[in-house]
Amino acid sequence: MKLTRREFAAGIAAGLAAPTVVTSARAQSATIKIGMCAPVTGPAAESGGYAIKGAKLALEAVNKAGGILGKQAELIIEDDQTTNPGIVLAFSKLAAQTDIVAFLGSIRSTQVHAISPDVMKLGKPVMIGGTDPTLTHMGNQWLFRFRPNDSYSGRVIADYGVNVLGKKKWAVLHSTDAFGTAGGKALSSALEKLGAPSVLDQGYANQSQDFTPVVLAIKQSGADILGSYFTFENDLGIFARQLRQLGVNIPWVGSPSIVNITALKLAGPALYGTYGVADYAEESSEGSKAFGKAYRELAKVAPDNQSSWPYDAVTVLAAGINKAGTTDPVKVREAILSIKKFPGAEGEYNFDQNGDGLHGYNIVRNEKGTIVFDKHIEFND
Amino acid sequence: MDLVLQLLFTGIGIGAVYALVALGFVLIFRATNVVNFAQGEFSMVAAYLMVVCVEMGLPYWLSFVLALVGMALLGVIFNLGVYYPLRHRTYLPVIIATIGASILLANSVLAIYGPQPQVLQGWFETPGIQLGPVYLDSQYLLIIAVTIALVIFNYWFFEHTMLGKKLQATSQDKEMASLLGISVSTMIMITFIYSAVLGGLAGILVAPILFVSIQMGSTIALKAFAATIIGGFGDVAGAIIGGLALGVIETFGAAYVSVPYKDGFAFLVLVAFLVFRPQGIFGERVAEKA
Repeated sequence: MKLTRREFAAGIAAGLAAPTVVTSARAQSATIKIGMCAPVTGPAAESGGYAIKGAKLALEAVNKAGGILGKQAELIIEDDQTTNPGIVLAFSKLAAQTDIVAFLGSIRSTQVHAISPDVMKLGKPVMIGGTDPTLTHMGNQWLFRFRPNDSYSGRVIADYGVNVLGKKKWAVLHSTDAFGTAGGKALSSALEKLGAPSVLDQGYANQSQDFTPVVLAIKQSGADILGSYFTFENDLGIFARQLRQLGVNIPWVGSPSIVNITALKLAGPALYGTYGVADYAEESSEGSKAFGKAYRELAKVAPDNQSSWPYDAVTVLAAGINKAGTTDPVKVREAILSIKKFPGAEGEYNFDQNGDGLHGYNIVRNEKGTIVFDKHIEFND
Repeated sequence: MDLVLQLLFTGIGIGAVYALVALGFVLIFRATNVVNFAQGEFSMVAAYLMVVCVEMGLPYWLSFVLALVGMALLGVIFNLGVYYPLRHRTYLPVIIATIGASILLANSVLAIYGPQPQVLQGWFETPGIQLGPVYLDSQYLLIIAVTIALVIFNYWFFEHTMLGKKLQATSQDKEMASLLGISVSTMIMITFIYSAVLGGLAGILVAPILFVSIQMGSTIALKAFAATIIGGFGDVAGAIIGGLALGVIETFGAAYVSVPYKDGFAFLVLVAFLVFRPQGIFGERVAEKA
């Protein structure tokens, strides 16, 4: 068969046009796609499973209510392996799919830092759960936070310990990753403002097998209260057990990981009587109760912040896109930032111009393994 | 002084765990001249086997025995599936195969059991005893006791039994052992079984302290590997001493210098040994002919 010049030119033109046509067809696909980076493997794989369940629960509700822009929404999940290189790879895989309109990032600040440059380059909205305050204050307009940041948690922990429990000699213990360092700084700063500077500021590396030196340092410091920022629940479990075994029974107010389901299972009685700041507390609002009920039915375990923030992220994102009436990233961003008094599982969302949706924390306490809501503290600044 | 004693006890306890895993490294290295990078995963698999047996309602002692029997079986499978087909190749393909096997084991357990970390109760009802100013964790006490028992057992087994001597002969010179009528492949099979059981024992013993998770093996194995180099690669006593030294050094380093750099001390010591005494504490200097 002989190819004419005209046929050859037509073939080349078709070849060049094909990717555009395919991309356009994919962009106009039957579903609205949302990408999600979640730890399916690695040390946070259990909590990653909870996060996926939370996101899917919200997606089901969104689709039942008519979907996004009249289409059914779909979740595309990539394993972030609970590592920074893992989430960079996962995000780049998702970002390469041009028909994904927005993303759910990580609950771990260090991982959000890792993908932040790529998020800026891509220019599409990414919902996050990391609580390092700087994440939404470093010029990346595409990050939207669905948990209160640690400038609030530090203030709530300090306020509760000093003014409610009446303790002034603080030991501050924190992971040395981005989340723990930022949290530790926020707590220390809040304590100084309350006139109770910490007597011990102790960092530790994630995945430690032994906390004896840390416990002995706390014992020697003479602290009468402990404030903590643990990243991984297994570290928290090992520390909690060793703390009690070595006879340290001072009050302990921890960051949200202290009330996580995994931490409660691993540490057991060693966490009885502790306090925690929790962005999710089942009894704190009607929205929290409704989410808790639906989640229990689906997952057969108690809800916690690992599942509640992705639930809210999908719900708010869907509302934002519907409000914008388009998937254009700039218009979606404006729509999300304009959301006020939106009832979610974590609390009432009032987005500020930095992308922070929540501005307060709940105080809860562990009563023999049951997490009991104490009070909610909201900030206006 | 109280602080020193408490740190010493904990350091020896955690060091004993490294020593048990390091022992597995050494035995396989002596028999095959390769490093088994799946040794840590043996610990993890055994801990999960133990959890499964306990959850099935079996008595703790029976679960322990069954988990170790399972590990012996894994040793056989590992030898036949990973080492035996590559036995005539250089050390590199075998090492890569053990890395592959390690990934396979971790992901298989993840696929079967899921990512949830598990709690395994210790052997004793009492979590520990207070001896004056020092708290002795019962699980650490058990680990130290088992390590001491194994040191004695290894000495008796390798020095005073025919099987032990055959294993030693095989590790020293396979060709000569073969000429003397020793079945080299059987001896290597036995070494893999023993190493898998040792790794499993370490995993089961440490599980009540570190919890049972997919990552538990790799965390311990990395330190155990460092302990093996410090003690002298290929030396049984070196593995024990290296493990204990590493546990004590990192515990004291964390207490007196810096907690966040705890792991750094272990690897600083490792680098120092590699630079100044690469043959380790008990290793012999190997000179090459000009």
